[in-house]
Amino acid sequence: MEEKRIKRNYYSAKSVIFLSLMFVASVYFLLPLFWIIVASSKSNAQLFSTNPLWFATPFDMLKNIKNASSYDNFILWRWFLNSIIYASTVSAGTALISAMAGFAFSKYNFFGKNVLFYIVLGTIMVPSTALVLPIYLLMHSMNLINTYWAVILPSLVNPFAIYLMRIFWMQEFPNELIDAAHVDGASDFAIFFKIGLPMVRGGLATVALFSFVSTWNNFFLPLVVISKSKLFPLTLGISIWTSLTSTGRGPSYGAITMGILISITPLIIAFIFLRRYWQAGLNSGAVKG
Amino acid sequence: MKKIKTTKFLPFIFLSPFLILFGLFYIAPLIYGFYLSLFHQYGLRPPVFIGFKNYLQVFNDTNFWMSILNMTKFFLIQGSIMIGLALIFALYIDNQKNRFRGFFRMVYYIPFAIPTAISGILWGFMYSKSMSPFQSIFGIFGLHPDFLASNALFWSIINIVTWEWTGYNMIIIYSGLQSIPRELYEAAHIDGAKRFDIIRYVKIPLIIPSLILSIVFTVIGTFQIFNEPYVLESMTFISPHFTPNLYIYTTAFSYGNFNFAAAMAIVLALVTFAVSMIFMRFAGFKEE
Repeated sequence: MEEKRIKRNYYSAKSVIFLSLMFVASVYFLLPLFWIIVASSKSNAQLFSTNPLWFATPFDMLKNIKNASSYDNFILWRWFLNSIIYASTVSAGTALISAMAGFAFSKYNFFGKNVLFYIVLGTIMVPSTALVLPIYLLMHSMNLINTYWAVILPSLVNPFAIYLMRIFWMQEFPNELIDAAHVDGASDFAIFFKIGLPMVRGGLATVALFSFVSTWNNFFLPLVVISKSKLFPLTLGISIWTSLTSTGRGPSYGAITMGILISITPLIIAFIFLRRYWQAGLNSGAVKG
Repeated sequence: MKKIKTTKFLPFIFLSPFLILFGLFYIAPLIYGFYLSLFHQYGLRPPVFIGFKNYLQVFNDTNFWMSILNMTKFFLIQGSIMIGLALIFALYIDNQKNRFRGFFRMVYYIPFAIPTAISGILWGFMYSKSMSPFQSIFGIFGLHPDFLASNALFWSIINIVTWEWTGYNMIIIYSGLQSIPRELYEAAHIDGAKRFDIIRYVKIPLIIPSLILSIVFTVIGTFQIFNEPYVLESMTFISPHFTPNLYIYTTAFSYGNFNFAAAMAIVLALVTFAVSMIFMRFAGFKEE
């Protein structure tokens, strides 16, 4: 509506310059991704001798997939599976835990509620080292080092997810519904699980997506609590490959670049198809509330 | 707002899964970290209580403060570039007259989906002499820069972090812009305001909260930088006190001095907290 009232002039010099600069910026953001696709299609020899920004013949992508896959007994795919296990467990767990906590924070009055909420929010500022060092020692004494739990349990605590879910409960689930359900004799748990959760599913999806991404991308926590290569997530595995190869003991660069491509592809695909939820999370998380 | 009237322990049942984990993996480690920071271990002998002596040592540790100073410099330079760019991009994609808005929004945001450790390796390869696509471009001008040389590294990492986080900050600012009622622009337009006036006097004042949020996230993130320099260590020499987190990690896991590392981690937390508070205060004054 408003668009029509303002006179359009797409082709003014200024707007053309601006549009070109935006395209230059796009090249900047896409270049590393393009490069990794090109690099992962090359043999080591080609990688060091041919044009870094274009494909070479023979096209070695399949060979690199084979090399990356079969290296060290298919360990890459074990890491892939581990990343999926870590990220999906944490994402489902965080969605449920923060939905419950967000429900409590938005629908009940209880002693110390505001203080508790601000403590939870304040912990966003605590640097991960301040937590991960003592967590390492505590887990050591609990024999949790080198188990899936060592990565999963600390990742389930997500103050930002609680903050988001509280907003979703306030916006999507009217308190009158609760009163009505009470009159019908429903318990609070029935209200939460049967009426509530379906209504805040947008919030659940957003929180699940964000915690999936942050767990998939996590590096520092697994670096500290996991030393058995069979339990590595992709991020850690590929960084170990890189340092091995730099000393001449690891897989070929073609295999590593292929490993990188494999490790980033699922999230880029998820990113493109689930745009709606990314945006929703940042919208409500960043500004409202 | 009307709340459910019910038994007092009910909300705590809903809170309990979170509270248990929060206690075990947030509160307990913080307390334990503080406890550790009060001890010192000589060799393999049992730790000895030394009070706040580790903190005294932290305050006198030049390396630690060099790393803080380094990241402060990093924040001032990288933060300004990144948030400046993010603001320009956000204003561009917020303007409905502009074409390809959806395309730019998605493309700029994509690096956020890539693990920072992987981005570090990826850019490290692109910086390396043997694989770099930049060498041939610079070569045209007779330049053969070494992006991984010690004097270039600071700027090379600034580039990596900017690549990773500009789109994320753009989205935060863009969300702020989206929440401004469109009628305000029309009103300003009728009053004869030019596009730049609307940006300067309507849009920017109204997105100050989003900008502050971006700045505070950047402060927190910058003081915690670890992954990028850590993964680059396999490609070049990086000072172990390039960032505070790298220094703390090295102190704990390479030198085994957990007590001193714990004290540094707590001081780092306090520094982060103080700087974030300064920005939030600053924002509070602005709004009034």
